[in-house]
Amino acid sequence: MGMTITEKIMARSSGRDKVIPGELVWTDIQSVMTMDYLGKTCFDKFRSLGKTEVFDKNRVICVSDHLVPPPNQKFANMLNEWREVVKQHDITNFYDLGRQGIAHQIMVEQGHVLPGTISIGTDSHANTYGAVGAMGNAIGVTDAAVAMATGKAWFRIPQSVKFNITGKWQPWVMAKDLSLHIMGMMHWNGHLLYKSLEFTGPAIESLSMAGRMTLCNMTVDLGAKNGIVAPDKITERYLRNRTNEKWDFVASDDDALYDMVYDIDISDLAPTIALPGKLDDTVTVDKLIGTKFNKAFVGTCTNGRLEDIATMAKILKDKQVHRDVNMILVPASQTVYLEALQAGHLETLIKAGVAIDTPSCAACAGIHTGVAGDGDIVLSAGNRNMTGRMGSKKAQIYLTSPSVVAASAVAGEITDPRTFDI
Amino acid sequence: MIKGTCWAAEDYVMAYDIIIQEYWTSAIDATENSKWVMAGVKEEFNKENAFKDKGFTFIVANHNFAGGGKSIEHVIAGLMGAGIKAVFATSFARLQFRNAINYGLPFVTCDGIGKGCETGDELEYDPKSGIIRNLTKKTEFQSVPAAPFVAEVGEAGGLMNYVRKKIAKGELIE
Ligand code: SF4
Repeated sequence: MGMTITEKIMARSSGRDKVIPGELVWTDIQSVMTMDYLGKTCFDKFRSLGKTEVFDKNRVICVSDHLVPPPNQKFANMLNEWREVVKQHDITNFYDLGRQGIAHQIMVEQGHVLPGTISIGTDSHANTYGAVGAMGNAIGVTDAAVAMATGKAWFRIPQSVKFNITGKWQPWVMAKDLSLHIMGMMHWNGHLLYKSLEFTGPAIESLSMAGRMTLCNMTVDLGAKNGIVAPDKITERYLRNRTNEKWDFVASDDDALYDMVYDIDISDLAPTIALPGKLDDTVTVDKLIGTKFNKAFVGTCTNGRLEDIATMAKILKDKQVHRDVNMILVPASQTVYLEALQAGHLETLIKAGVAIDTPSCAACAGIHTGVAGDGDIVLSAGNRNMTGRMGSKKAQIYLTSPSVVAASAVAGEITDPRTFDI
Repeated sequence: MIKGTCWAAEDYVMAYDIIIQEYWTSAIDATENSKWVMAGVKEEFNKENAFKDKGFTFIVANHNFAGGGKSIEHVIAGLMGAGIKAVFATSFARLQFRNAINYGLPFVTCDGIGKGCETGDELEYDPKSGIIRNLTKKTEFQSVPAAPFVAEVGEAGGLMNYVRKKIAKGELIE
């Protein structure tokens, strides 16, 4: 019996020839990520284990993303303590304000995660790392502290579920639509809890790294342990200038065992939207045409990448955001910001009436930069729409792709980008 | 053997309702986190110490307890600070399941228990055999016993203690 890609990664990381689902193993960790609002606790816990030096200064990655730039004194003070503790431990890779980005974007974009290895982070969306064929896993501060001290983490080997994606991507339909489609199909509390989700098939092979990141990112919202795309030519091209470390093309065996296999043909996948409150309450865009909203948001670790910004710019070129809509774009990292600037997208967007802010999690966690107030109706390209997530409990959040957000922002009501006059 | 009353959840219990957004950036501290634990789950618990003051020992729930993809440990610290000694559910969300193991709070998988208990029922739990007795209703449930590693971490009082001892002794972690 063969192994799935996730099983192989976990086997090699734990020094075994074979692992089987259900087994508990300690594995080696490629990189440990922590960020501004939990990071100090990680380091405090780490020292309480009786250690003063982390297992590898180059492989503990520290990022300021949730709290920067500080919107109030409390967060400014937290950030100062955080900087102090990172300095004290002489961490090589510290992405602080000025070099910042959302941690998950930084981890992939700066080459800190490698195909065939395991990386962990103290934030739910660490599943994003699966986009380059790594096992990416969210953990708490305790696990991070232990990994900082030992370079290891314990895991239960998950069962794998395969999504075989076929068909051709239609114009303006994005990986986010597939994510939301799967969310609606499988449900939040459903069968995918603890599972490793593997995305394969021709439609994945033709998917960009940005799209793969979106897809893997949202697997945590399905309750899965990780999401993964086997490394291929696209991965190789993406990683070329990002890492000097060696890696190989790990892939699932033909006779690997899956708990379930789902086939999805995306040829007629429509732009998809999650209704306010629950992620799995999804509908296709046609059901909501004409729905009014007053705030539009593109950003986050799900959809704040160059490709997303390019899509927006294409739609908003020589157009204006509707006068009843406030639209904010927050690029996922300084690198993305610069690339979007160089490509001319930001100029297009500013002329269209889009406000652009410095990279951070922004209003995604309801902390700063465009939080929602009472009665606001937000059309967001983020990943969470629970009541109160972006601020007020009296606001509503619709989740969708950047192309739906952009086309709808012009119209001032929910619009299908496929029929929009671009 | 652990004995006490239970709170039986009527619906899904999400991690971000156990600890609401206002407290995500606060320190992880059992006493502090327990003051507002469960504040988002039920209106009656949305008062300082409201859940804690009920004095429950167990929580009984259905699927995906503490779900919704939040990794914050405030959730477990808050439950422990409120006096919870074990949570029984049909299934758990993996992030908090992991945190619970790391803190030594038994998250015990037990099919069907959600429908077998009401708030206020007196339960008795034997971690060794995995048997849960509902003394009020005179029923019994067999739960899934903890894996040896999980039991070991639990006995050590959590992963921090477990690893600290190994590091102090210079033992390998494997
Ligand atoms: S962008 Fe949102 S979901 Fe992503 S890490 Fe930041 S707060 Fe979490």
